[in-house]
Amino acid sequence: MSEFLNQFKQLTATGYLFWVLAILALLSAVWVVTARNPIHSVLALIATFFCLSGHYILLNAQFLAAVNIIVYAGAIMVLFLFTIMFLNLRREDEESKTNLTKMAAVVVGGLLMVMLITIFRAKSAQVPTFNPVSFDSRTGLVENLGSILYSDYILPFELASVLFLVAMVGAVMLGKREAGDRHF
Amino acid sequence: MQTDLLCALIPLFPLIGFIINGFGFRRIPKSLAGAIATVAVLASFLTSCFLFGAFLGNANLTSTAGPLKAVLFDWISVGDLDISFSFQIDQLSLLMLLVVTGVGSLIHLYSIGYMKHDEGFGKFMAFLNLFVFFMLLLVMGSNYVIMFIGWEGVGLCSYLLIGFWNTNTNYNNAARKAFVMNRIGDLGFLLGIFWIINLFGTTEYTDVFKQATSLAIGDPEILAITLLLFVGAMGKSAQIPLYTWLPDAMAGPTPVSALIHAATMVTAGIYMVVRSNVLYTLSPLTLEIIGGIAIATALLAASIGLLQNDIKKVLAYSTVSQLGYMFLGLSVTAYTAGMFHVITHAFFKALLFLGAGSVIHAMSDEQDIRNMGGLRKSLPVTFITFLIGTIAISGLPPFAGFFSKDEILAHVFEHNKVLWALGVLGSALTSFYMFRLLFLTFFGEFRGTEEQRHHLHESPATMTAPLVFLAILSAAGGVLNLPGGGWLSDFMAPLFEGSRQVNPEAFAESTIDHSTEYILMAVSAGVALISGIIAYVMYVSRGAVPAPETTERSMPEQVVYNKYYVDEFYEAIIVRPIRGLGDALYSFGEFIIDGVVNGVAWLVRAGSNQLRLLQNGSIGFYVFAMVLSIVAIIALRFFVRF
Amino acid sequence: MFPIVLLSVFGILLLFLGFLKSRAILLPAALLFLLVSLAVNFIDWNKTYLYFNGMLLSDNLSMVFTAIVLGSAFMVVALSGSFMEDESAQPAEYYGILLFSLVGALMMIGFENLIMLFVGVEILSVAMYVLTGSDKRNLRSNEAALKYFLMGAFTTGIMLFGMALLYGATGSFTLGGIRAYAVNPQVGLSLLFYVGLLMLLIGLLFKVSAAPFHFWTPDVYDGAPTLFTAFMSTVVKTAGFAALFRLLSISFSGVYTFWWTILAIITTLTLVAGNITAVYQNSFKRMMAYSSISHAGYLLIGLAALGQQTKQAIVFYSLAYSVATIAAFGVLLLVARQRNAETITSGGSSSESFDAFNGLARQNPLLGFAMAVSMLSLAGIPLTAGFWGKFYMFSTAVERGQIWLLVVAVLMSAVGIYYYFRVIIAMYFREGATAPIRVAPFYRYVLVVATLLTIGLGIAPGLLEGLF
Repeated sequence: MSEFLNQFKQLTATGYLFWVLAILALLSAVWVVTARNPIHSVLALIATFFCLSGHYILLNAQFLAAVNIIVYAGAIMVLFLFTIMFLNLRREDEESKTNLTKMAAVVVGGLLMVMLITIFRAKSAQVPTFNPVSFDSRTGLVENLGSILYSDYILPFELASVLFLVAMVGAVMLGKREAGDRHF
Repeated sequence: MQTDLLCALIPLFPLIGFIINGFGFRRIPKSLAGAIATVAVLASFLTSCFLFGAFLGNANLTSTAGPLKAVLFDWISVGDLDISFSFQIDQLSLLMLLVVTGVGSLIHLYSIGYMKHDEGFGKFMAFLNLFVFFMLLLVMGSNYVIMFIGWEGVGLCSYLLIGFWNTNTNYNNAARKAFVMNRIGDLGFLLGIFWIINLFGTTEYTDVFKQATSLAIGDPEILAITLLLFVGAMGKSAQIPLYTWLPDAMAGPTPVSALIHAATMVTAGIYMVVRSNVLYTLSPLTLEIIGGIAIATALLAASIGLLQNDIKKVLAYSTVSQLGYMFLGLSVTAYTAGMFHVITHAFFKALLFLGAGSVIHAMSDEQDIRNMGGLRKSLPVTFITFLIGTIAISGLPPFAGFFSKDEILAHVFEHNKVLWALGVLGSALTSFYMFRLLFLTFFGEFRGTEEQRHHLHESPATMTAPLVFLAILSAAGGVLNLPGGGWLSDFMAPLFEGSRQVNPEAFAESTIDHSTEYILMAVSAGVALISGIIAYVMYVSRGAVPAPETTERSMPEQVVYNKYYVDEFYEAIIVRPIRGLGDALYSFGEFIIDGVVNGVAWLVRAGSNQLRLLQNGSIGFYVFAMVLSIVAIIALRFFVRF
Repeated sequence: MFPIVLLSVFGILLLFLGFLKSRAILLPAALLFLLVSLAVNFIDWNKTYLYFNGMLLSDNLSMVFTAIVLGSAFMVVALSGSFMEDESAQPAEYYGILLFSLVGALMMIGFENLIMLFVGVEILSVAMYVLTGSDKRNLRSNEAALKYFLMGAFTTGIMLFGMALLYGATGSFTLGGIRAYAVNPQVGLSLLFYVGLLMLLIGLLFKVSAAPFHFWTPDVYDGAPTLFTAFMSTVVKTAGFAALFRLLSISFSGVYTFWWTILAIITTLTLVAGNITAVYQNSFKRMMAYSSISHAGYLLIGLAALGQQTKQAIVFYSLAYSVATIAAFGVLLLVARQRNAETITSGGSSSESFDAFNGLARQNPLLGFAMAVSMLSLAGIPLTAGFWGKFYMFSTAVERGQIWLLVVAVLMSAVGIYYYFRVIIAMYFREGATAPIRVAPFYRYVLVVATLLTIGLGIAPGLLEGLF
């Protein structure tokens, strides 16, 4: 315990920030899963994204943080909210799960978490630590990212557009109203 | 080059026949379809004869005639393993070729008459041709892979032909049973082949055997290989415990029973063991096991045969029993004797089945011998040929069965006296049930319906001609290998060079002198004769008829009172115990073995049902199962030491 | 490389062709596009190139896999004539999405960088989610699409996690970089590497429906329109195995001892679950779903026993399997359509059950024969391509000395015969009082080609040797 306290005392400001963000992210993520009201779930998810963006900034990935907030927390979550409100989900629609399945899920999920934590804390799982000499603070900036995306990663970057095209065409195809469908 | 061409032609003819009939069976008229099929097999037979002559001539010119190999094309190469599509022509494959195509053509000819009223005639002929094709692949292939392809192919054709009259569900079940049991055997065979690949790095017979000769006797790997291969033989050649499919397979049309389930396919197991004789000689323990299984099969099937009332069932059990004899011969390294019995058995058993077919044909599809009797007047040709067949299978001199069975028994005597005594007992049983069958069918009064009596007629020439041919062969087939160094043993001797090399003792000159040999012959012939006479007394003199299942005995009224006592006495002393034994063995065979097979099937189905329930359609459960599996995998890899 | 570019362009072109009034041009156009892609595939034959800064590898193996995938797609598209008759269908979109999905499949075949693998998997998966649900009026189709999507998204998460861990441990996304790390460890491999490896494997195993990650397969295959089921069970599977093979044989071959037991256990489970469950099915389509699981099991044998022969075995097996599966689904399509039409008038058994095939061989010998050959091939009966596929696979197991794996596989292939033969029995031995099915000429060519290929490869399996 005292060891933990000592470690806590030695933390820098960034360290404190990291812990706060991590705890917030976890709590809001748990809230996403447990909330009974889907709107609360979505709101909690937005909170989680904000916390994650905070982490990105701590990791010197400013562009990613901004994109994460704009795209996920901004656009996609708003769409989500809109859809949920539109569909007007009620509480009684919720699938009822027995306690047994819930228990089993918690036990198995918990087991996986414990196992992964054990593995990652092991000596042989350590990644090389931060090296101030070779560190380039500009790595996460949009300029660098852009130049890498358009040079080394040009092929997957371009082909990702095929992915979006498929998703778009699919969405249109599935969503298109048919002759016999009722009008909203 | 010329031999290559000839070799390719032999299986090609039936294949062409199959293609023509198989694709055009609705357009080709019946007479033409039958002719095409028969001519195809006949052409193979003639080619085989030519090849045989050429081989003999070659063998005479150069005394050390090795096997001819005809490589048609290179097939596959997986890593270091090369498998070519090639045929091996040597003494063994030539003999099998002649038997398969010779008996095959006769049976094709017979089928023209037998099946002419059948709707699916063209399809039937096509299947028969396909069967011959696969059988030829089986016996001609120069490596185990080609043998396996033929092995599977004949199983497939057997399945198709047993279920040929598919309107009856029982027939379909019989077909399925045959297929399942054969598959069990095939699995053993396949595993054996892979083990051979693992050990020798090749499947080519000549290479495998050459390498094998340098191994020590009793090598454990050879033991495993030979046992696995023998499992395959058990399935195909209907040995305990995989024999129950063969009697059920009688659901197929009679020519099929004659061709596939008597003359050719079921002897594939014996062919395989003889082909791999080097491996088997290397593993005396396997031979011991084969011997035990063989004698048990021979006796079990013979005792069941005593009580069957279906003419084809009797013959089926008799086939199982005779196959037991062949394996018995192989188990004492009397490979030549085993092959000799294969050949003679092909003659007389095909004859008996075709004769039975002729009877069934005349009786309007009646198969119960209790409803026959006195047929010798209306079916003279069938009767005489059937009589010859019966004498041949019973082992009475001078017909073919006597020589071949006697040779096996003589070798067994040398090896183990108890086995010999059991073998003679089996031979007595054989003689009894065969004569019982003969007498009940052809002697006494006609017991069928009026309608059947009117219908009685001798079969057409296409059916009787094969009977006559086969009868001649059954009568004279013994000259192939007369006792005391016949032609066949000289002819086949080069096949067993390898075996002789690895285990000279097993091939040492016979130690029994001629007088002992003659006594042995006399004993087995005498025993067979006595059984035949007992059968005569019971079923002709006393006119006994097996009791029908439902009503009281249909014992004729004129049976005198005291005679009845004799029968009672006889029944108490001999028939009851035998019947008891037979029933017990029957139930052992049919119920326990079927039980195991059905049990496995049930287990699969039950497992299937349980697994199916897992598929409950709920995504929650699916995801749960996935996470659980991930946990299990990680636990297995990081937290469990093994 | 060229097919990827062309297919992306062609997909867009097809979408534009959808604006035309006449739908008749769509099918020939799609077929033409596929043929052109197939042709340009072989431009680099016998040469090995790394395109785009080591993103995409083009060698003979990848070209052979590409050819199998494009060939399968060609046959599936050729069987799609019925789209034209259905008013509510949107063929331009279907074909467009199919072509795009092939881009994903080709990326999975030739990837040299994990990013490429990921984008490829996603393109293929998203396309499949959409196509699964394309029968909008059918509740089962909708349900299947949703299930597939949810499960697929979940797995994508796991796979990404795995890739991230691998990057964390090795500092590289490229196959070569990971290999260098795994083969030549300075201090011993990081545990992150192992966890990443497992996670990545699990993600791909899900895509090829290996047990215990196979639960989605029967529901999805059953619910999807039959044509897309055929596409999924051939193209997706082939691409998945190509990707698995590249990963395991290049990056992870150094740590074979770590993963092979896991893979062997999964193989066994897959074989057992697929074959045993298939026995109980009454619907042919569902049986084919389980059968595709079991074939994933056979293909996995080659990976669990990774060795010299694996490459050849996987190529041969996926080709044999794809051809036979497409023929089977092609016949099913026709039969189900006919029976559906009949059910409306008379009210009979389900159009996709085994009973639907009763007496088929009598009315339509060609359909019966094509189906019988493909069933024999799937069951692995000699003189069909399927037999050699199994033979190659089993001999890889023998080469590695994994006899127990071989025993399980051989036993399970015996179980397989049971359910494949049910179809043959129904077609040849049962009576079915129905009118002959009309088979369009083009349809007939596809079935004939598939049947000839199956038999041809069964008689001369050596034809494929020396190709790569």
